[in-house]
Amino acid sequence: MTRSEERGVRKERSEAATIVRPELVEGSSADHHDFVLETSEISKHFGAVRAVDQLSISIPRTGMTSIVGPNGSGKSTLVNLLSGTLPLDGGIVIIDGVGLRVVRAHETPGHGITRTFQEVRLFDQISVWDNILVVLTERHPFRALMERGKQSHREKAQNILENVGMWEKRDSLAMDLSYGQRKLLEIGRAMALEVHTYLFDEPFAGLFPQMLEQVKDIMRLMRDEGRSIIFISHNMDIVRELTDHLIVLDSGRLLAEGDVTEVLASDEVIQAYLGT
Amino acid sequence: MLSLRGRHNAILAIVLTALAVLYIGWKITQSPEQALQFTFNGLAVGAVYALLAMGFTLVYSTVWFFDLYYGAAAALGAYGVFYLRSHDTLGGRYEVNEPILNILFAVVTAGVVAWSFHTSFGSRLRSRLNTTGVRIVALLIGAAAGVYMGFVLSFPKDIHTVLSPAVGVLVAVAVVWVLHTIYRSVLPRTTTIPVLVVGAVAGVALGVYCAVAVYGSPDWGLYLTWGISCLLAGIVGLALYRGLYVYMRERARSPLVMLVATLGILLAITAFTTIIFQSAPRPLPDAFGSTPWKIAGANIKGFNVFTIGVALVGFVFLLFLLKMTSFGKAVRAIGDDEEVSKVVGINTTVVIAVVFFIGAIYAAAAGVLSGHDTAIQPRMGLLLLLKGWIASVVGGIGNMYGAIVGGFVLGLIEQFGIWDLAGEWKDAISFVLLILFLSFWPNGLLPRK
Amino acid sequence: MNRQLFRDFATLFRDPRIFWQTARGNVQLWANLFVIAWAIGFMLWQGVGFAITVGTVFAIWAILAVSLNLVVGFTGLLSVGHIGFFGIGAYAMAILTSNPEYEQLRTEAIPTFAWPFFAALPVSVLAAGLVAIVVGVVFNRFRDDIYVLVSFGFAIISFNVFLNWRGFTRGAFGIHEIARPDIGGWVFDGELDFLIFVLVCLAIIMLISWFIVTSSFGRVLTAIREDEQAIEVFGYQVTQYKLAIWVISAMMAGLAGGLFSSWTSFIDPFSFILLESILLISIVILGGLATIWGSLLGAMTFVLLEEGMRFLPFMPVEYIGQARQVVLGILLVLLMLFRPQGLVGRYRL
Repeated sequence: MTRSEERGVRKERSEAATIVRPELVEGSSADHHDFVLETSEISKHFGAVRAVDQLSISIPRTGMTSIVGPNGSGKSTLVNLLSGTLPLDGGIVIIDGVGLRVVRAHETPGHGITRTFQEVRLFDQISVWDNILVVLTERHPFRALMERGKQSHREKAQNILENVGMWEKRDSLAMDLSYGQRKLLEIGRAMALEVHTYLFDEPFAGLFPQMLEQVKDIMRLMRDEGRSIIFISHNMDIVRELTDHLIVLDSGRLLAEGDVTEVLASDEVIQAYLGT
Repeated sequence: MLSLRGRHNAILAIVLTALAVLYIGWKITQSPEQALQFTFNGLAVGAVYALLAMGFTLVYSTVWFFDLYYGAAAALGAYGVFYLRSHDTLGGRYEVNEPILNILFAVVTAGVVAWSFHTSFGSRLRSRLNTTGVRIVALLIGAAAGVYMGFVLSFPKDIHTVLSPAVGVLVAVAVVWVLHTIYRSVLPRTTTIPVLVVGAVAGVALGVYCAVAVYGSPDWGLYLTWGISCLLAGIVGLALYRGLYVYMRERARSPLVMLVATLGILLAITAFTTIIFQSAPRPLPDAFGSTPWKIAGANIKGFNVFTIGVALVGFVFLLFLLKMTSFGKAVRAIGDDEEVSKVVGINTTVVIAVVFFIGAIYAAAAGVLSGHDTAIQPRMGLLLLLKGWIASVVGGIGNMYGAIVGGFVLGLIEQFGIWDLAGEWKDAISFVLLILFLSFWPNGLLPRK
Repeated sequence: MNRQLFRDFATLFRDPRIFWQTARGNVQLWANLFVIAWAIGFMLWQGVGFAITVGTVFAIWAILAVSLNLVVGFTGLLSVGHIGFFGIGAYAMAILTSNPEYEQLRTEAIPTFAWPFFAALPVSVLAAGLVAIVVGVVFNRFRDDIYVLVSFGFAIISFNVFLNWRGFTRGAFGIHEIARPDIGGWVFDGELDFLIFVLVCLAIIMLISWFIVTSSFGRVLTAIREDEQAIEVFGYQVTQYKLAIWVISAMMAGLAGGLFSSWTSFIDPFSFILLESILLISIVILGGLATIWGSLLGAMTFVLLEEGMRFLPFMPVEYIGQARQVVLGILLVLLMLFRPQGLVGRYRL
């Protein structure tokens, strides 16, 4: 967040949103059916710091992808760029074959992406129940005004809360939950949105082993449904265990990308990141 | 490739600035005398706004919430002068002197002085006295200060007599401190006893001279009143911080809680002022005579020149304080990260208390200066607060240079704006300016790094 | 809304002993009981005439407070400029309905239309709504502290317009002879008629607010209040929602303004100063953020504070308004210290 955003002025985002035909993007893969999410030379600067620098990655349509890298290597920034939480400084994001110069946050579910946040960002002062429901209900303001308590939404919300094991807690405020429960609820909130790609920003950080297993199970379940899951983690054991596709970042640049065993075996990665 | 994508804001900003410059240029060619007059008025008004913005910025960039007591401090400063000089204003028709108020301020002063003494010298005394002893000493000193303040407030006509010893002591201490500081910076490693002796002799001599001078001349009453009412506003600011904000900040979830609470304080103090002084505007006594000087066809009032001078001196002093002293370093450290500052051993409570004290003094000074220029009324606090707030946002929030630039820019634009519009629109003009600035330069003219 | 509260009241009547056990430390309940008892006590003591006047004042403040709570409590936009919309509604009503014969006698004539009340009321509402669209589009880019500052600005600019656009509002002289509501020859001329009319309006406003708050739209509003960026990621266009609720709220304030100017039959700009706006936000915070009932409670407390002070023996009459401000200011400080959600609120600032 820039200083101006912090103190309450929202910066005007560029209006010149352009949808680009991915075939025309230089360096992108020819066959877009294999990849659910690609980037072409995307960049983000914070002042002189290049958080993400000319990054081009491709994420396969199925399976789990993890993004690893040392602190400050631009992992979270990358997720923020992909989900439209931060505006792009340059480059193109290709989601499911649609190239975007400007990713608008409120349009990402339409493109098929949703996310969780590194610092858990629930809607603190509303109930757990409403936290899930708000994701399910009508998007259009006037139709939302006429909609109240749809049965299908309720069933879905109940289903999800039972999945993450928080049905008993449905009436308590989200701010009263424990850290692990909050993390779970946030994953549940993302699950409520039925899209093809989920970006999880450090879903395993700070969890007890038991909850860790629960999160892993949820993610496996989603993978088996044929969804693409992208997560950031520092825990290499989990990465080895879950991931099919690995992306290694270092200071905003791509260090290595590919099958997890190959990447982890490559000298470059071992030296730069895991070596010592 | 030249891309205009995302630059339309910058283009609009340039166009707007160009239009403003063209307008002012056209006005100058139309009537240079009037342009000079408006420029001067703008600078005078801008000086008041700059003072407000400086104090506001100092407080905001330390604690990162907007302290709306600030507006009340401006009104307190102005009404303090009115209160103490009411026998001199409009032939004493609105003379007020409430014993209850005097006692209240005396008690607040006593508390603040006792606390200040206890936190700054308590640990040094503790080697000789036990905890209770230190407390008793602090309370005694506080009580003495309180009684003195009570005397000052109770006999406003003889303020020069009552305050002359204090002036003497202040001058003496200041002389010693200045000599000592200079000596230390020139010869850092030698003993300071000779300079202390010389300083003491010189200081006492100068102090006695000043005290005698003040003692005999009622003309000094007004200037002493300025000092006292600014001091009182500062003391109240410090007391509010120590007595209220400290606890509130521990509980507050967001800066908005502090904002609403301080809004409550502003509301209460404004209403309280209205109860005591009525809501009608009141004049303050003339400061430097009311005959303006004629310079190139423009009327230049001596008091306005004084106002600009005060703003500049205030700016230099604040800059010196922030850049040169260890206090300034502590303030900047707290502004960057309060928790870390606490960990590295800065006494954040004391430093922030002093920041609130200084901030409120700046506000009160602005209130006094604008009160002498126009008139005072209880709601001036809120208006001045908003002007200071706008000036600090326009200049670039959290930046001291931005504060003074923003203040003068706001003042000038306001004055040039009412050239063609009626004067009543000037509050609206400043808010339109604010919205334009927030839209095109969201970080202000000189953004904080 | 306050289901727990109803349950508490039910136990009070069923078994006072259980009530005492459960009610200890329940601030919400005691606040409600205290204010209601205070109101009833006053009504019994001062009689019906008093209740009618105070009731009308209360109802107008309550409409304003409910409308502002939609913005402040539910959407989390701390707006201090709401009095501007109130003023726009009031001036629209005044200009459209004021009596032309009377106006011609004045030195500074303004355009008069002599519309009936019920033709002018929708215009009041729409005028406030139209201005709100423009203001809302500009304000949507601001947040938090800066939002407060800019909304101060709206209050000041609108006051300046009321005061200085003399050809339309007759400035400080004000506008006289504003029409009372009438339908088919039946004029709501009596104070009681008007009170009933205003209370009906209040009920309608509360119903609309309840409808908004309990819909999916309302849930999205609370989510926007909690985390604007997060809700955007789930596909909501936050700006649309904020603009929509802002305009709805402004229209309600416009309605309150129309009622107010018809009730007093004379308005001048000084009813719409910034201070009134600050009082309004104090009412909303005092009563409780993000509850409709809380706004009613806040407005009731506010009105009763003034009337209560009228009977304090040591309080000179001319200082009552100021004394109420002092009390309100201190209450704000205490609330922010101990109960940042207000008396019965559900959102901590």
